[in-house]
Amino acid sequence: MEKLEQIFNKIVREYSERLYWHVRRMVGSHEDADDLVQEIFLKIWTNLPSFRGESQMYTWIWRIATNETLNHLRKERVRAALRFQAVDELMERRIEADPYFNGTAAQRELAKAVARLPEKQRQVFVMRWWDELSYEEISAITGISVGALKASYHIAREKIELNLSSSEVSK
Amino acid sequence: MARNNDISTPEAYFQHLEERLKAIPAREVKPTVIQRVSPWIAYAASLAVLAAVGNFIFGRAAAVEEEADWDYISYLSRSLDPDGQIELAETEDLSEEDIRSFLIADNISVEHLESLNNEEDY
Repeated sequence: MEKLEQIFNKIVREYSERLYWHVRRMVGSHEDADDLVQEIFLKIWTNLPSFRGESQMYTWIWRIATNETLNHLRKERVRAALRFQAVDELMERRIEADPYFNGTAAQRELAKAVARLPEKQRQVFVMRWWDELSYEEISAITGISVGALKASYHIAREKIELNLSSSEVSK
Repeated sequence: MARNNDISTPEAYFQHLEERLKAIPAREVKPTVIQRVSPWIAYAASLAVLAAVGNFIFGRAAAVEEEADWDYISYLSRSLDPDGQIELAETEDLSEEDIRSFLIADNISVEHLESLNNEEDY
C-alpha cells in the first residue's frame, strides 16, 4: 500500500498540472476543471492496483483523463438537453464569464470556436494544439489511428477558421 | 505552457491541488459490496412491504370481489411514500437511471443509451 501511495504521489507531482490544463480547455471553467481533475485522480488511485503495464503508465494516465473528461461532457450534454438548453451556448457563456481569462478578444473567440466542436474532435484539437502531443501519442491514448487523427484535426482547424472569420473579432 | 497564457488559475492553485490530490489515498475508502447494494435492498424491502400489505388486503377481498382494486394499491403506496420519491441515488443531481428512464421514454436509440454507460475498467 505504501508503495502504491509513493507511485500515486509521483503521478500527482508529474501529471496534475498538465492534466488540469487539458481538462480546463475541454470544460471551459476553472471550477469544473478542478472538480474533474480530482475525479480523474481518484480514478487513477482506484485503478492503480490493477495496472499491469499493458501500456505505458503515461498512456494509461492520459487515457483515464480523456475518458473521464468525455464522460463528463456527455453527462453535461444530457443534463442540458433535459433542461432544453444547448450545451454549446452554456460553454460559450462560461468562457465569456470566466474570471480567470486574461487573453485577447481573439483568444477568447478561439476558445469559443473550439468549444463548439463535437467533443471527440475538440479533444483531438486540444491535445494537438494546446497539449502539444504528437499524433502517435494521441493515437496510443485514444486508440484512433494516426491518419484518422490527422483528418480530424484538419477538419477541426477548418471549422475553427470558418468560425473565427465570421466572428466579431475579425470584423 | 506557453499556449495556455490566456487563462490562469487562483494563486498557489497547483500547490494546493497537489496537497489535495495526495490526500486521496488516506481519505478514500472503497465502498463495500453492502454499501453499494443497500439502496437496492431498501427499495426491494419497500416493495416487499407493499406487496405483503396488498396481498393481505386483497386476500380478504378476493373472497368477495373478482377483480383487484388497483386504486387501493396506489392509495397505499401514497400513504407509505407520500412524496412519491423512493431515494435510490445518493447524489443530489440527476442519476444515470433518471436520465436513462427519461431517454427510454423518449425513444432514444439503444446505441445512444450505450454511449452513456460511463463505467470503464482501466
